[in-house]
Parts: sequence; structure tokens; C-alpha cells
Amino acid sequence: MMLADAHDGLAVRITAIELEGEAAAWIGAVGLHEGEELVVLRRAVLGGPLHVRTGGGGEFAVAREVAGKIAVVPLDRSDEP
Amino acid sequence: MSAEPSCHTEPARPSGRTPLEGALTIALAGRPNSGKSSLYNVLTGGDAHVGNYPGITVEILEGNVTLPSGANAIVADLPGFYSVEATVDAATDEGIARAFLEAMKQSGRALVVVQVLDPTRLALGLRLTAELLRAKLPLVVVLTHGDVLTREGHTVDVAALSDAIGAPVVLVNARDVATKAVVLAAVEDHRREGSEAQGSGRLDAARIAKAVVKDVGSATELRRRRMTERLDSVLLHPLVGPVLFVGIMALLFAAVFLIADPASNLMDRLVGLARAWLASAFGKNLVTSFIADGLLGGAGTVLAFMPQIVILTVALELLEASGYLARGAFLVDRLLRLLGLSGRSFLPLLMGHACAVPAIAATRIVRDPRERLTTILVLPLMTCSARLPTYGLVLATFFGHRSALFRAFIFVGLYFAGILTALVASWVLRRTATKGKGLPLVLEIPSYRVPQPRVVLRKAGQAARRFLRDVGTVIVAVAAVLWVLLTVPMPGSTAAPGIERSVAASVGRAIEPATRPAGFDWRINVGLIGSFGAREVMVGTMGVIFGVENAADDPAPLTTRLRETRRPDGSPVYTTRTGLALLAFFVLACQCMSTIAAIKRETGSWRWPAFVMAYTYALAYVAAVLVYQVSAVFGIV
Repeated sequence: MMLADAHDGLAVRITAIELEGEAAAWIGAVGLHEGEELVVLRRAVLGGPLHVRTGGGGEFAVAREVAGKIAVVPLDRSDEP
Repeated sequence: MSAEPSCHTEPARPSGRTPLEGALTIALAGRPNSGKSSLYNVLTGGDAHVGNYPGITVEILEGNVTLPSGANAIVADLPGFYSVEATVDAATDEGIARAFLEAMKQSGRALVVVQVLDPTRLALGLRLTAELLRAKLPLVVVLTHGDVLTREGHTVDVAALSDAIGAPVVLVNARDVATKAVVLAAVEDHRREGSEAQGSGRLDAARIAKAVVKDVGSATELRRRRMTERLDSVLLHPLVGPVLFVGIMALLFAAVFLIADPASNLMDRLVGLARAWLASAFGKNLVTSFIADGLLGGAGTVLAFMPQIVILTVALELLEASGYLARGAFLVDRLLRLLGLSGRSFLPLLMGHACAVPAIAATRIVRDPRERLTTILVLPLMTCSARLPTYGLVLATFFGHRSALFRAFIFVGLYFAGILTALVASWVLRRTATKGKGLPLVLEIPSYRVPQPRVVLRKAGQAARRFLRDVGTVIVAVAAVLWVLLTVPMPGSTAAPGIERSVAASVGRAIEPATRPAGFDWRINVGLIGSFGAREVMVGTMGVIFGVENAADDPAPLTTRLRETRRPDGSPVYTTRTGLALLAFFVLACQCMSTIAAIKRETGSWRWPAFVMAYTYALAYVAAVLVYQVSAVFGIV
């Protein structure tokens, strides 16, 4: 599944980032990279960005179109946001 | 400031020694919101001047420090960045940081990079550490927010972290006065010992972070998390959040101009006194007129903007440092994305309704360079407060006989015309002039923090100095040129003495054939030439042309004169159609030298100010002609 499809509160792990090289490298440097665990906290209205928390302690706003290119798998647990 | 020695640790460092030599540059590097500004302030005591680094086109601020050995060193404050390997665009903070580090390497100057790292987000920061080590840069890691870490119920094993990454590490609290000595000692030690023993940069950031940060449990941390969650649940609520955001932005926007207004008036009054003194001391002649109306007039404009710039910078820094600005961007991102912009452009666009000059400075919060440029290019289309006197004059002159509601309707329409044109222009620009790959929106949402007054004030001072130097000089120069055009008589002119014989009047008559389709005669053309530098000057210039004293303060006699001006056949020169065309022109034309100077400063070239002038004047002319001609089709006279 893609991160954009994950519901609020779902804990996931990034399995692939399907963006082109430089963009993928940049968001990796920011903190979203393969293997990183995330919890979707909320999403802005009208198809706005997702608010996620990473296992590394960071929180990010991720544009829906970027989230649509981040492949994730749900983790066993479903953390509270 | 509290002294918390417990926040500091002796640095763990690699082995090997080389003698300390030459002047040293200490480059502060780190992710945005890592505490870099606070550390810079502690190290330099707020001292800041613009450094000269070959190949670097943006300002890198630097301050001087004395190392524990007594040697002098320079602290350079790099912009916050995430990576030196992944650079999407040279104009991003990542590109600037990389260019700086490469320039330093090439210059052979002695350098130590101090990476400022937020230990509460250690895994994120260590990714940059790995990159800096891979780039073979001499590195000292400074963990800031030591106090926050303690409050959050965590401890960090500094020695283990230093071993794991292969570089010296110190833990400090940037608000603590002892921090300076600790950091500078670590830097000097590392310089003395050399960076040969540094790690290779092949490290697993997540694993290291997990190993060295221990959770010792804290009720405070639990409370802080709950507080953050509660605040976010309100401030980022799908419905309440956007309403609060617009409210807070409107409040900020109003506060900036309400607080700045008395200060601007005071500046205006001081310049007025200087001009009056000049006239009384040396009499009224061409030289005193040039100094009083040209140079001092320009200086008055500069000083009148200064309070806005300072207060705006303070407000923006407070929003940014508190962690709210990123949340605001999250809320309005989707709406602006439709137009090729993002949530970060919202604040500058809102500010543009008061004045484009501080709004252009405010675009610095937009990280994507193409988006930032687009925002700068469309900002002059927003209805700023300087347009209001002319709108008032035109509405009173041509629509005075209509109801107040009708005039209010037109007034609101003018605002929306500006917004709509800006949005369409933005959409077009993102597909043409500023087309290209942008940064994907992955915006870090920082923790809520209390801003540090000293850091905020230092940034406000820097903004004021930059404005004076870069914008102020251009404003004064253009004011002087306009004075010459409006005052110096055209050689060979047979017109009546005064403004009618000026170079501007001759130009106004010469371009009349081109402006006639828009209903503008030579007098309106002179008004437009006079208001090239500042649109609010239009009313005063028209007053001079029609021989009306103090038209800018009381435009009523001028509106009467305009209404009564007739052609030889008795028909009115200025009709409702002229008024509508003039309004269309004023909505779109960038008649503001301060805006042009601000764009030059922010884009670093004259190309983009020239582009703004060209496209806004072309739009304004076409719109004025269309409005004048089409309104005739609808039977408006």
C-alpha cells in the first residue's frame, strides 16, 4: 500500500520510495527513507498533506502526491497518534 | 540565563595531534530548528557581519570569537540544511551549504564544521553527520537542547556516541553562558588533534540513536507530549485549524501595520522637519528643492518602511521559532498547491496586501527556490495600502454621485482583481518562467518551543541593516531621478513654467497617442510618471498639475477640478470610463521603486525586477485599454 492510503493512527514501515533519484535522496536526508517506521497522525482537509511521526522522533507534513509515491507496509501494532 | 554545568560534557575525541595554525573558520551547520541560531548567538554575543566567500551569492553571516588559546577565529552561520549530498537545486539551503563547504575546501582556509544537533531527534541529525564525515570535513558535533533532553526524561551517552561516529561530541544547553567555552575548547582541541582519526561516515543512524539515548522516564515528558498533542489537535484541526490560522495571520498582519504606523509617522515627521529647516535656512531654490524633495523625500520613504521591516521580522521569527509557522503551512498547503505554490507562500501573500516590501522579505520562509521566486514575482499584484489614496481619488472623482454601497462594491472588486490576477499569474509562471522541478513537500514540523528574545532581536537588527543598505540606496537614487524629471524644464519647451514645462510633461505629451486608447491624456501620463517610484505620489502630482495645494491631504478640490476639466468642444476630458481604466491600471502596474529594489535584493539580479516591471506594466496597459474600450460598448460614458 501507499502512505497516502494509510488511515489516521496506522503504524507503517517504508518499503520503497518511488520518487526520482535526487528527490528521493532529499526526502531520505530529511528523514523519510526505506526502513523508517511512521505513524500517520492526521491529514489536512481537501487532499492536503499528511502529518506523520517517524521512529526517529521527527514529525513531518508530507504532501499527498509525495505520500502517493511512498510504499509502506502496516506494522503489527496500531499505535495511537 | 541559567548556568547548568550538568548540561556540559568533556568532549570525547579521536587521537592524534597537529599544531594549531592559521585563522580558523568555524562553520555552524545543522538541520533547521536544531538550535543553530541560539548557539551562534552564544558564541558571538550577537556579533554579525556579512562574510565574503568566493562563489557564494547569498549572505553568510559571521562573527569573530577568541579561542581559549587566544587565537582569533570566525564563526560562520550557514543556513539550516538537511543534506550536502542530495542537492535538488543550487539555490536551496542544501546547495548553498555545499557551495560554501566546497569554496572553503578550495580556498585552503582552516575549517572546523560544528554540526549542531538536536538530541531529542538524534537519528534524524545523525544522517547529516554521516554525510559531513563522508565529505572528509573536520567535524565537531554539538548536541544542543541539553535542558530539553533532561526535561523529556532522556540521557545521552556522549562518549558512546563519539565512539560510534568517530568525531568529538559535546552536550550543551545553548542558553547557558558556559556553552561558549565548552564548544570553543572542543573546536580548538579537534583542530590541534587533526581529523585523520575521524569516522568514515558509514553508520547506522537509527541503531546508534537507539543505543546512546536512554529513556529514564519523566512525568514532565509525558505532560509535554500530551500538551503538544492537545495543541495540535486544536491548531491542526481540519476545520478549527484553518480558521485559527487565518485569524492569527490577520492579527499579525494588522499588528505589524498598526504598531508600525505611529513609528512610520514619526519618521515622516522628522524628515518633514528636516525639509522645512532646509527651506528656512537656505531659501527655496533648485538645490534645496533637490535635497529636500528628491534626496530627503527618498530617505523619508526608506525610514517610513523601516518599522514595518523590523516588526515583521520579529513577528515572523516568533512564529517560526515557536513551531507554529510549519503548522500553518500544513493547513493551507493544498489550496496553494493548485496554483503551483505551497503553504509557506501564504504568509507573504497575505502581507502583500499591506506592503509588498516586507512581504518580499518574508518569502525567505519558502524553501523551494522556484516557488519563492514565483511568490516574489506575483506579490506586486496584491492590493497594497499605497494604492488606496489613488483608489480614493478615482472613486470620489468618477463615482462620487453613486451610492456608498456601489463604491464599496468597486473597492472590494479591486482587491479581488489583484488576488485573482496574482493567482492566475502564479499558475502561468509555474508553467513558464519558473517552470521546473521543485522540492517535494516534506516539511519538518518542529516541537513547540519558547522563542529566545536575543535571537529574535538580532535577526530584526540584521533585517533592518540589510534593508537600509540594499533597498534604501536604490530608493534614494530613484527619488532623485524622478525629481529631475518632474522639475527640470525640457530644453526648448514653450509650455507654461512649472511642471508643465518639465521633462516628465514632455514625455507625457509624447506618449499621449499610445495612452489615448485607455483614455489617458498627458496630465494623467505625468501623474503616472510621477508615481512610477511610489503609486501614492499620483494624487500629489495631479494636484501640482492642476494647481491644487496639498491635494494628497485633501483631494476634494482636485476631484472637482478633474470633473470640470473640459475639451474645447465642452465635453469632459475625464469620464467614468477614464476612472475605470485608471483603476485597472493601478491594480496591475508595479509602480513602486521600493518593491523593485526589494526584488533586486532578494533575487540578486536586475533580471527579475525588470521582468516584473515589464509584465505588470504590459498587463496594466492592456487592461486599461480593454476596460476603456469595452465599457463604451456597454454604454458607460
